[in-house]
Amino acid sequence: MVQAKKRGKAKVLALYTTATVVLALMIIPYLYMLIQSLAPWHEVDRVFIPSSLGVRSYTWLFAGGAASLPRPWLRALGNSALVATVVTLSRVLVGSLVGYALAVLSFRGRGVIQNFILFHMFYPGIILLVPTFLLIRALGLYDTYAAMILPGLVSTWAIFMYANFFRTVPKEVIEAARMDGAGELRIIFQIMIPIARPITAIVFLFLFMERWIELLWDLIVIRDPAKQTLNVLLATMFGPYGGYEGPLYAAGVLLTFPIIVLFLLFSRRFVQGVSLVIST
Amino acid sequence: MSTKKELGGWLLASPYLLSAILFFLIPLGWSLSLVFFDWNVISPVRTYVGLGNFREALTSTRVFKAFVNTYKFMGIIVPGVIVASLGLALLVQHLPRGKQFYAVGFFLPYLASGVAVSLVVRGILSYDSAFNEFLRSVFGSSPRWLRDPFWATLVISAMIIWKLSGYYALIFLAGLQGIPRELYEAAALDGAGPLTQFRKITVPLLYPAFYTVLVLSVGLCFGIFTEPYVLTGGGPRFATHTWQLEIYSQAFERFRAGYGATVAVLNAVITFGSILIIRRVVESWGRRLGFR
Repeated sequence: MVQAKKRGKAKVLALYTTATVVLALMIIPYLYMLIQSLAPWHEVDRVFIPSSLGVRSYTWLFAGGAASLPRPWLRALGNSALVATVVTLSRVLVGSLVGYALAVLSFRGRGVIQNFILFHMFYPGIILLVPTFLLIRALGLYDTYAAMILPGLVSTWAIFMYANFFRTVPKEVIEAARMDGAGELRIIFQIMIPIARPITAIVFLFLFMERWIELLWDLIVIRDPAKQTLNVLLATMFGPYGGYEGPLYAAGVLLTFPIIVLFLLFSRRFVQGVSLVIST
Repeated sequence: MSTKKELGGWLLASPYLLSAILFFLIPLGWSLSLVFFDWNVISPVRTYVGLGNFREALTSTRVFKAFVNTYKFMGIIVPGVIVASLGLALLVQHLPRGKQFYAVGFFLPYLASGVAVSLVVRGILSYDSAFNEFLRSVFGSSPRWLRDPFWATLVISAMIIWKLSGYYALIFLAGLQGIPRELYEAAALDGAGPLTQFRKITVPLLYPAFYTVLVLSVGLCFGIFTEPYVLTGGGPRFATHTWQLEIYSQAFERFRAGYGATVAVLNAVITFGSILIIRRVVESWGRRLGFR
């Protein structure tokens, strides 16, 4: 009996040791980036643990880079934040409005719209890449913020998620609100969106992250470095900035850590929320 | 009242409809005509080439490389990500406490920008990095990593496996939590060891999770772009060239809009066909297990 208990304890200890080691492995790239961004420049990549830590790489970035190759790093961070925030808010808002219409209202043509959305969702986006670029150019939007924002304002996935969730809300709740004289918009904003909070947390996080790390589209439609997102600026600075690894790591930190903070803020609801996402 | 209700539905759906017309239907129609033209985007002249773009794409070594590499990546990434994510899920499942903490921690790689991770990987693998110095001090030499076709493929695959496994682990975890404990207890009474229990209970009952992870990860292999774009440019000798790199390079570096659109159509058809075949295979496995 005592021995079995001991064996159980050893097993639990082994489990936690394994889990912690694996967790460390999973976050090593983040730690590496953070540590190297604080290392003295001649030690970057050359040693795992730097002899001292400093913020030279960050001050260099914030001052705009080398005089020979000035790059608006901070502005790029702002661009990323602007584009990702506008796009994500719009996707969440449109997702909940359309999702409500499809799940709760009955109107002629609803079935058609529903089927069309499914078709849209599963249509391979890669085919649309070239013609969408040509359309943006024809509209005179090449190299503008609008080019990064407009095509992304609506997400079929967000609509789908909200519609599925709203279908589970008891009809009585909505009927009662209507009896009290509430209009559809009031029902959406004062009842449905508040109950949908777990879904919103997940949808917001996934969509924000997706937009934040977009590369291909932003690479295609933006030429002016002042409008580039941080992700694109970093990707296109790989070659010419050969001698500035430290600042590149600092930029990597600026790119990565906001998402992690956002995620950790949401993480309380996260695991249960993801199972909702998966089951639908 | 009734017409007002009708109108309300369409009104609420209108932002979607507007966006779908502008950024889905119009490009969709445009892509259908683009593939028949040779057009350099800038010039006002578009030359009708019939099926010429398709003929060129189907005989192009670059496209062929992208085609083959996709399955090469798939052969590493799909098994790798299934083993890794199932392993993570089992690990979390067996922890008495702190499941949430570890599940959230394992998910963190999914949030990383491919660009930022590529930066780290390039740094770690650069010739005089601490890592390579270490390898040389132990083995006497270090691989040429991204300049070696074998290692470049492996490194990019490993980056993708690292990114996805924590996310897919959540899918497996949800599946594991749906398996009734009594099944294991009954099996243990019948003398089944942990390995037999895993093979006869866990794996078959996780079928829906396997299915999801398989379809997701296979689909993903057709869309590899960021890592090779940043790290290898598709090299060395096209060893890491992908569909999306080819489309990007043809349409946006060489400005061959018609040809780029054609490769994209080909990519979509092949993706669709491959997923269909894989789904068939997996579904026949599922039927044998008694899932629909």
